[in-house]
Amino acid sequence: MRKAFLYLIGILSILSCEDQITPDLEDAPAILIIDAFLTNQDSVQTIRIAQSQPYFDNSALQGVSGATVLVNHIDGTVYEFVEVAPGYYRYDALANGSIARIQDSLTLQVTIGEDLFQAGSRVNRVPNIDSITFRFEEENLFLPDSYFAEFWSRDPLGPGDTYWIKSYKNGQYLNQPNEINIAYDAGFSEGGDVDGLIFIPPIRDGINPFEEDENDDFVSPFEDGDSVYVEIHSISNETFRFLNDVRIQTDRPGGFAELFSVPLSNVRSNIIYRGTDPEIAVAGFFNVAAVTGAGKRLDVTDL
Amino acid sequence: MVYLKYVLCLIVVHVLGTSTGLAQEKVTLSGYLFDTSNGETLIGATVYIPDLEAGAVTNVYGFYSITLTPGTYQIEYRYIGYQSVTRNLDLSTSQRVDIELDSESKLLQEIVITDEIVDLNVTGVQMGTNSMTMQTIASIPPFLGEVDVLKSIQFLPGVSTVGEGASGFNVRGGGVGQNLVLLDEAPVYNSSHMLGFFSVFNPDAVKDIQLIKGGIPAKYGGRIASILDIRMKEGNSKELNVSGGIGSIFSRVAIEGPLAKDKASFIVAARRSYADAVAKVFTNALDDGAALNFYDLTLKTNYNINKRNRIYLSGYFGRDKFKFDEAQGFNWGNSTATLRWNHIFNQRLFSNFTAFFSDYDYELAFGDDELDKFDWNSRIRTFNFKPEFTYFINPGNELSFGGEFINYDFEPANAVGVSNGEVSDVSVARKNGLEWAVYLSNDQKLGSNWRMQYGLRYSNFALVGPGPYYEFDNPEPGQRRNVINTFQADKGETIEQYGNLEPRASLRYQISPAASLKASYNRTVQYIHLVSNTTASNPLDIWTPSTNNIEPQKADQWSIGYFKNYGAQVNFETSVELYYRQARNQIDYIDGADLLINEYIEGDLLSGDGRAYGLELYVKKNTGLINGWISYTLARTELKVNGINNYQWYPTRYDQTHNLKAAVFYDPESRWKLSANFTMLSGTPSTFPTSRLEVQGYLLPYNYYNSRNNVRIPLFHRLDLSATLTGRKTRKGRARKNEDYWIFSIYNVYGRRNPFSIYFSQTDDRPMPGVPIESQATQVSIIGSIVPAISYNFKF
Repeated sequence: MRKAFLYLIGILSILSCEDQITPDLEDAPAILIIDAFLTNQDSVQTIRIAQSQPYFDNSALQGVSGATVLVNHIDGTVYEFVEVAPGYYRYDALANGSIARIQDSLTLQVTIGEDLFQAGSRVNRVPNIDSITFRFEEENLFLPDSYFAEFWSRDPLGPGDTYWIKSYKNGQYLNQPNEINIAYDAGFSEGGDVDGLIFIPPIRDGINPFEEDENDDFVSPFEDGDSVYVEIHSISNETFRFLNDVRIQTDRPGGFAELFSVPLSNVRSNIIYRGTDPEIAVAGFFNVAAVTGAGKRLDVTDL
Repeated sequence: MVYLKYVLCLIVVHVLGTSTGLAQEKVTLSGYLFDTSNGETLIGATVYIPDLEAGAVTNVYGFYSITLTPGTYQIEYRYIGYQSVTRNLDLSTSQRVDIELDSESKLLQEIVITDEIVDLNVTGVQMGTNSMTMQTIASIPPFLGEVDVLKSIQFLPGVSTVGEGASGFNVRGGGVGQNLVLLDEAPVYNSSHMLGFFSVFNPDAVKDIQLIKGGIPAKYGGRIASILDIRMKEGNSKELNVSGGIGSIFSRVAIEGPLAKDKASFIVAARRSYADAVAKVFTNALDDGAALNFYDLTLKTNYNINKRNRIYLSGYFGRDKFKFDEAQGFNWGNSTATLRWNHIFNQRLFSNFTAFFSDYDYELAFGDDELDKFDWNSRIRTFNFKPEFTYFINPGNELSFGGEFINYDFEPANAVGVSNGEVSDVSVARKNGLEWAVYLSNDQKLGSNWRMQYGLRYSNFALVGPGPYYEFDNPEPGQRRNVINTFQADKGETIEQYGNLEPRASLRYQISPAASLKASYNRTVQYIHLVSNTTASNPLDIWTPSTNNIEPQKADQWSIGYFKNYGAQVNFETSVELYYRQARNQIDYIDGADLLINEYIEGDLLSGDGRAYGLELYVKKNTGLINGWISYTLARTELKVNGINNYQWYPTRYDQTHNLKAAVFYDPESRWKLSANFTMLSGTPSTFPTSRLEVQGYLLPYNYYNSRNNVRIPLFHRLDLSATLTGRKTRKGRARKNEDYWIFSIYNVYGRRNPFSIYFSQTDDRPMPGVPIESQATQVSIIGSIVPAISYNFKF
């Protein structure tokens, strides 16, 4: 739907133009970023702690070393994340087993010097992916002849489930802002009652890469022989809102669509600073997800 | 309420007291003023009696009334751009005198002043008010060759927008949804075609527009910032006319003529864009039903029943359509219908009764098979009845009173999704509102120097059932409020009710015949709100009523002004106005607000205070080969909302410190006419980041100080030119029956890439693991090049 609106806007963009500029920006102290998206999978779990830097500074973020990073399970187990590179803290769940099961609650505790930061997360339920299908669509006003992938899964009964659907094309994670695919129950947002359904079409279709060629024409998401892998991550409602903020703040189609953009604002955070120093600010998010996944390779002779 | 009654009684007693004692010895001269060529009534024409140094002005229906002592008088009928008519009348008894005036020229020559002085800007009590005739609007260099009402008013002081291409306009710090846009009395909820590039008003059918920015008379209400009152032509009552044009975007045609000579006439005007019709020739991509077009149809007819009764029926229907294919697409549009009855009770009591209907709706459909689809529509519909009376008590007092009753029907979203054959209805509950108002106002002259207009409006709004309503919690400011209680209202049950007194006053002191000082105050209240958190308003924005959680918006505006004309023929008109406006219950939004298809939308709205102040300068040259005007506004518009910008004042997105506009017309006695306009605006505010974050591989702009609109984007300036070539008046020595003219225009003559916004994002390349993400800032120009256009216009 949102994309459809962008097509309309695209047509009107003929008169608009864009220039890359480098305006002067206000100086600001660095803030702490704690990027802690964990899963219940038996795989290496990573938490990244870094400092923000000036907006136009395109060097790698400076990691924060020497922190004590603990994830406490409600049953009393403490998982210690060990620094493996500056700012990267790991727990090897592949060797030691999953940190949580569905419905478990965990807290994150990061101590840097004297300063304590905390956040909580509960592992929510996640539906299985029943199947993945491909379909062919003929060329139209906006797209060439295209193969689209679609995943099939049903949101469990009971409102308030939230998900982050990640997808991979030929093993490469689709990580562009316009590929962020999040769901509230089977639909887009809370407030609309789409509980217990098969995910609605824009979310099923949201696993396709959204790419343009050098002429800014859209290209077919998949070609014969390409593979797709889809994961559903259960996230908290808070995390859903956070990722929604991330999408709004990062997915900027530009051009004429700027008429309908919303103001720049800071994304929210669920990480709480437990100290009293007014100079200290923190951003980032803590979520522990349950994950299901499925994959498929496109064989056009099957269609 | 007690206070209200007291004030109303005071006005009635005071005004009637000054008149009744004298009434027996008076006679009344009244009537209508018409244009000789087409029978159109003349709005704002002057009826002047030199012996008494007194006069009257025709109202929006072209009616005037003057009450005076019996005698023989010389009466002058004047109207800008028209030959004056002088009559010697023996007024021993009351008389009805309808007058026709000849226009100086029939085509595009509005700014010619006749031999008499027309200086309403100085002598009238109104301030903060600008009128424009269609001839002036047509002279302003148009964008893509299309003459546009809303783009033209942006050349007036005190009017701004968020930027080029944005729909709507902002007046003295008001939001787009705070303007009451009236087309023949009916409110138009979305005044844009093509997302904002063109307005919905067909210039062929518009007669006159008036923008009221301050000193808003008591008869108007319902929006807090301004009134844009657009009056449609009645249609030529003398002869059948066909006019039209072929432009870059639209083709237009208008037919007008008498139904019964001097008794009834009609006008039908239609426009359609033809980009898709042209595209069909070049591409087959549109063959599966895809479309992009917009059209509108404007019609009006009137019937002059007898000397005391006249009825008008007018309607508008317009639509923008965008279809991806046969089944999927998006369309939106307004429909309005207005029935008016002018009734003259007696020579001094004029009345108008209006019943109207206005509807704005949009519709989206996605999914081309029955198993997976999504249909969504939204609508606001109003029915309204408005009786208005004007009592011409004596030359010193003109009493207006009346009321308004509005029934609102809001359908925020009717939305049904089908996912793999399973249907889910995600519609948002309908809401109903009832608004009514009564007003009383007097326009009074005190001696020859003082004149004042004062009045009071009482407005009331009730949100009524059936339907659910909610109670929300109170989290930290700026966060989403969650429902803690749901209630169900029965049909007709009042969920919440608001009543407000709206005092209005304007005062004029005439310093000299050519100079006056004016002051005004008005309070305005608005019960329905345009919910839009995007930079420019878009067609999906919905209107929502005041509820138990959303209070009515209120504004108080004070203004003072100095008006001075120069030259024997009012060669120059000048004015200086200062205003200060304070507003309460202004709406803003939480970050990440979900405004569409959201039953709990109230939980995503924030409320705060607004303030705006400014200085408006205006110089208009009326005479000479080169004429035109310059307007300059120095202004500030700010909001203070708990949850945004650390609860400090911040400028609105449309705040412009400096706003300079000039419109110049070169009008030699030849077939060519040239016009130019120049616009220079301070950059509008924008929020810039200080820092960058990275979370989950996304680069996030971050403002350490949590500020809103902390930076201004660069200056905007643009020059537009146009030339009008009028067709030959004769062919082979004979006068041509047809009239035609070409308009050649160049928009953005020096092709400046004026900034609309600057946004911050990661680069478009797919980020690679282990490689830092690149940040960028992009400046967007909505119209970044020279845009030439030609249009051909005709009339026969």
